[in-house]
Amino acid sequence: MRFISRRDALRLIPGLTALVWSGTIERSQATPAEATTEIGRFTGGRTADPGKIALDLPEIAENGNSVTLAFDIDHPMTPERHVTEVLVVADSNPSPRVATFRFTPMSGRAAAATRIRLAGTQVVSVLAKTSDGKLFVAQRQVKVTVGGCGG
Amino acid sequence: MLNSPSSLIKTSSRKGRFLAGGTLVILAVSIAGVVSLQTRAQNARLAPLAIEGPASPVPWVRYAGWPNRDTSKFNSLTRIVSPPAPSSPRKLGKEVAGDPAAGQKLVADRSRGGSCLACHVMGPAGGADLPGNVGPDLSEIGNAGRDDEWLFNYVNDARVYNPDTVMPPWGTHGIFSQSEIGDIVAFLKTLKSPAKFKTALDDPMKRPAPVEQRDNLDALVNPAMWQVEERAPTLWKTAGPAGASCASCHSEPAQSFRTWAAAMPKWEARLNKVLGVEEFVTRHARATTGQNWLMQTEEHTALSTYLRYLANGAPIAIDTAGAEVKAAYQRGEALSTRKIGALNFSCADCHGADKSASKWIRGQWLGELRGQLDHFPTWRTSQQSVWDIRKRFQWCQVAIWADDLPPDAPEYGDLELYLASQNAGQKLSVPGIRH
Amino acid sequence: MAEKPRIRLPKQAGKGEVVEIKTLIAHVMESGQRKDPSGKIVPRKIIKRFACAFNGKPVFECELEPAIAANPYLQFSVKVEESGVFAFTWTDDDGAVITAEEKITVA
Repeated sequence: MRFISRRDALRLIPGLTALVWSGTIERSQATPAEATTEIGRFTGGRTADPGKIALDLPEIAENGNSVTLAFDIDHPMTPERHVTEVLVVADSNPSPRVATFRFTPMSGRAAAATRIRLAGTQVVSVLAKTSDGKLFVAQRQVKVTVGGCGG
Repeated sequence: MLNSPSSLIKTSSRKGRFLAGGTLVILAVSIAGVVSLQTRAQNARLAPLAIEGPASPVPWVRYAGWPNRDTSKFNSLTRIVSPPAPSSPRKLGKEVAGDPAAGQKLVADRSRGGSCLACHVMGPAGGADLPGNVGPDLSEIGNAGRDDEWLFNYVNDARVYNPDTVMPPWGTHGIFSQSEIGDIVAFLKTLKSPAKFKTALDDPMKRPAPVEQRDNLDALVNPAMWQVEERAPTLWKTAGPAGASCASCHSEPAQSFRTWAAAMPKWEARLNKVLGVEEFVTRHARATTGQNWLMQTEEHTALSTYLRYLANGAPIAIDTAGAEVKAAYQRGEALSTRKIGALNFSCADCHGADKSASKWIRGQWLGELRGQLDHFPTWRTSQQSVWDIRKRFQWCQVAIWADDLPPDAPEYGDLELYLASQNAGQKLSVPGIRH
Repeated sequence: MAEKPRIRLPKQAGKGEVVEIKTLIAHVMESGQRKDPSGKIVPRKIIKRFACAFNGKPVFECELEPAIAANPYLQFSVKVEESGVFAFTWTDDDGAVITAEEKITVA
């Protein structure tokens, strides 16, 4: 897991070519701008700090149909202070939202894992908010493999 | 050898005669019993098979959703019909005219069998995004002192310079038109500096080989496990039209089939072909329970996966001794080196250790022959379904623009036998999970 | 969706222990982006919500989008202070709800 600098965390990696994924999917894609809007709605326009979210995503996915994503947030989960909500956004999928997770103090840990679809190489962002108003972010570019013979 | 019974029972007393007669009867019955046991044992070695009829739909129709190109004019595993290579390079006598911008698009065009980027790094083409390295890096070909005629002929049909080339004959096979080849040549001439990769991962020489780390036998990871944990055991106990189920004769499959699938495929004299697990399931079910599970149907795939799964951990160990098996092996090996399809590839071209194995085509790793069988049938995440080895063969053919054969084609049997020989000792781990 | 959801969690735990729960439900998660062979869009049909409650109290929830892969897998944690019953619910786009329950004994 890499931790990115605060400076990098605050800007989405721009202008990546979104690759077309195997055949059957519509080619409409969200733009990084739509993803930014979605993130803005979650953060209320405030800055999010990097460094607390350990994000597990592969650097290369051999296929975009099933990419394992896991996160674990370094933060207490007490009734007084706990992570309440985590948003996952992908900046070049047909639609940017991937999932929203809601935690309670009974969660014990603000950690979850799932498998997601990525329509091509893109940046996945994970944002977290806490009960006392803090915001955290982690981002990773996942390269979705282009297959060999053109299929 | 027995004396006439009457001579043996020429004893004085009736009791004596009775005893002697009884002994004879017991002897006769015992001998008959031993003989019939031997016959039954012999027949037990030959599982009942429905010999008549195909194991797949006839005529074979390619799966819906697969590319539907007409590739009948090119070699397949059953026909040699491709146009021949030119006998010598074409003399052009002038510079090749072409549009480098158009050429840059063509070399990255996946609808044209790759195209060039599948095997070559080519400077900025395709955004230098995960190019392959089967062929040499062409990023500085414009400075390599090659004239237009050489470049043109190489793209048009590389066999005029290298008869053993892996490169598709783009011109001779009509994948690119002559003017498009001119555009490609024009683009090649602009390549004069090393490719600038966006990340280390894009450089095929630096990209780490993929390692499958998912636990393929975990039902929370691999949907194919639901087939072997639930679907197949249910089918096993379901009676077919003939009134019997698999369980009627095989009540303890986990015991009985601990190594069976690892010894397949086998030469089957009654069918005069190599018989793999998949075709066996179709023909054996038809001959016993009356079920007609054609290859590639849902029930069929569940059961053939199950039978291989039951032999997990057993090393692949097929019989290679008999004359028929040896002949099948030779045929399979020959088929693996036959160039087929518009792209003109043989299995060996991509998977031979001395050819392109352990290299990249675009972002896809080419594995050696060894290691390609132990995890079949496999769940394919890109297809959201289980593929057995025959379906994998069929897809490989279609992907290189060659005709696919029906899954029970004898050629696939020979190929599977050859592949199994290359995988001797590999332990089964079925169902697999792959992209 | 005829398959039972699959759930993996320990049968026993210590008081205050954080247990990891893994869940999977068979579902095509039709994104609404795919076209059928005739060219028509296949309508969206996904599991859109997952919830876990323990002894009646909500613990964890997830809103799923079409970008969640088919056969949605969700792994999360719960801190258990007492024995009880986990209740899991999956809600489909059309409102259908699938439920499952698992017990845990907490020492």
